[in-house]
Amino acid sequence: MNISNKFGLRDSPPVRASDGMASEAHPEMGVASKLLCFFPSSLVNYLIALAAIFSINFILPRLMPGDPLQAIYGQEALVVMSDEMEAQLVRQLSLDKSWWDQMLAYILSLMQGDLGFSYYYREQVSQVILGALPWTLLLTGLALVLATAIGLILGIESGYARGSSLDRGLVAGLMFLGGFPDFFIGILLLLVFAVSLQVLPISGATSPYAGHEGLAHILDVLKHLALPLASMILVQLGGIFLLARNTIVTLLAESFILTARAKGCSERLIKYAHAGRNCLLPVTTATGLRIPQLLTGALFIEIVFSYPGVGSLLNTAIDARDYPLIQGILLIVTLTVLTANFLVDLLYSRLDPRVRYAR
Amino acid sequence: MHVDALGEISHDPLAKAGAIMLVVITSLALFAPLFSNYSPHDYTGNIFSPPDRDHLLGTDSMGQDIWTRLLYGARTSLLVAGAVALISSSLSLLIGASAALVGGLYERLCMRIIDALISLPTIIVMILVAAYLRPSLPLLILLISLFSWPGGARIIRSQVLSLKQRMHINASRTFGAGKGHIISKHIIPDLSPIICALMMQDARKAVFMEAGLAFLGVSDPTVISWGKMMNQALAFTYLDVWQWWLVPIGLALSATLIGISFLSFSLETAIDPRLRRDESIEGSMSVARRA
Repeated sequence: MNISNKFGLRDSPPVRASDGMASEAHPEMGVASKLLCFFPSSLVNYLIALAAIFSINFILPRLMPGDPLQAIYGQEALVVMSDEMEAQLVRQLSLDKSWWDQMLAYILSLMQGDLGFSYYYREQVSQVILGALPWTLLLTGLALVLATAIGLILGIESGYARGSSLDRGLVAGLMFLGGFPDFFIGILLLLVFAVSLQVLPISGATSPYAGHEGLAHILDVLKHLALPLASMILVQLGGIFLLARNTIVTLLAESFILTARAKGCSERLIKYAHAGRNCLLPVTTATGLRIPQLLTGALFIEIVFSYPGVGSLLNTAIDARDYPLIQGILLIVTLTVLTANFLVDLLYSRLDPRVRYAR
Repeated sequence: MHVDALGEISHDPLAKAGAIMLVVITSLALFAPLFSNYSPHDYTGNIFSPPDRDHLLGTDSMGQDIWTRLLYGARTSLLVAGAVALISSSLSLLIGASAALVGGLYERLCMRIIDALISLPTIIVMILVAAYLRPSLPLLILLISLFSWPGGARIIRSQVLSLKQRMHINASRTFGAGKGHIISKHIIPDLSPIICALMMQDARKAVFMEAGLAFLGVSDPTVISWGKMMNQALAFTYLDVWQWWLVPIGLALSATLIGISFLSFSLETAIDPRLRRDESIEGSMSVARRA
């Protein structure tokens, strides 16, 4: 959530990516990378990130002083457990054996999709998270697509008319907006539209016991989605807009724009097909870098609106000290972030032929 | 690269606005006892009382004076901001510069770690660690620092890499300057404006993270935090109390963040010649249009 990402300057992705990657790509270009030529080279980073999360989840509770079972499940959970259950868990997690056996047991259970048991919800952690994940994905996915589309269009228009009152107004307004913390933007929208004007629902994802079906159900979901989605778009918009605008400003000085003008292309064609198309690349890179922020931002927004996604789940888990659930959320959110980053990398190589041919 | 960044931003209205906001907030925090008659932990007896002369912003659900807690909450935010800015930018400098200067396997290892850390949802990692170790203010400062250095280290590394190739460094080397001399007399002074900008970014991130973590329920129980207050206030949106409880705290938090943003934005413009040229073109264009 740093300011440069918001303002799209200084270490904005085109600068950052190019000075990071250009010098890094060369040592990587060995025989090994040719074997991996179907995958973006960043795959290794993702594996390292995943390994870091695995080890945090595995090591942290076992480093705690005292009973490891208590550290893994939390004090509150042990109170309600019978001796029999405890013994079974010790066996299952191999807590009476060496660290090596414990790690094997841990990895084996992860492979089977077993993330542990949430004592608060009295259900498998994986089941609890899978119930909440679709809402989060719906919210973040829509926010990502809409914010990128709106930010791009506004950025292109603003950069093309640099110095105009539209440009100045948009830059000042969105820069100011970028200063607000995301949960406060959510809170303001909540206070204005749900508390004061009461035009939109204050919490939840659907109206309880309404029993809507078909179109009515979709409308109901959209109505509940409107405020959280609007807050997320407002938070994301500034960074994308400024990046697109600044890219357009530098692109307009390039000779291919002059050529397009000389050919007699229409303004709209120059704006979108020539300048706009090239501005997709830095925006895509920035999107990839912004995904962790996007998901953590969604967690806050969900809590503000009591939206039943992973964020609200995390809030409950923190309050109830449900450690397995927090661990599971960390793992699933990381996996989601890394998968999304991977997809952005693939998309990037589709968008930029130079990346494809470089391999 | 020897730009007098401070002299330059003193003429920028954006920087002035940011500096004024920060000075106001800092002095309110420092001299908090002068601006309020209560202690932040006092229970005044009446809950949810609307603003009046005794209680500038009324009282909260526990009967505590909101204005007083707002002032003392600023102390937490600014303390975290300062401490994280120092620790995190030192880590960025140490790792970024050493990676660029040492090179080889060490550099690749550092960059791998940085890339991996950047792609993690750090706030959840912090929540997990803080939940296990029981959150306290020093632990939170340490955690936020540990997860916010990678971006800065990357910038420092690329700066040092390009500095290494500059003419004046080569000249100095030709005259027989040792590694230590080049680092202390050339590289560090050239980096200082960038380190300033990084510290401001880190400070901004730290204020946000501290409030965000407290908002999520991860905070030192003995410390007053804006994020925690907002989370408490959010439960009472069905009453009118949000007008003097939730909104002022949110605005204070936003003002702190925007103040730092403005200052650091203006500083970045001053130290980045690329952006300055951009501005001068814009300036001359608007002059031309007026003429």
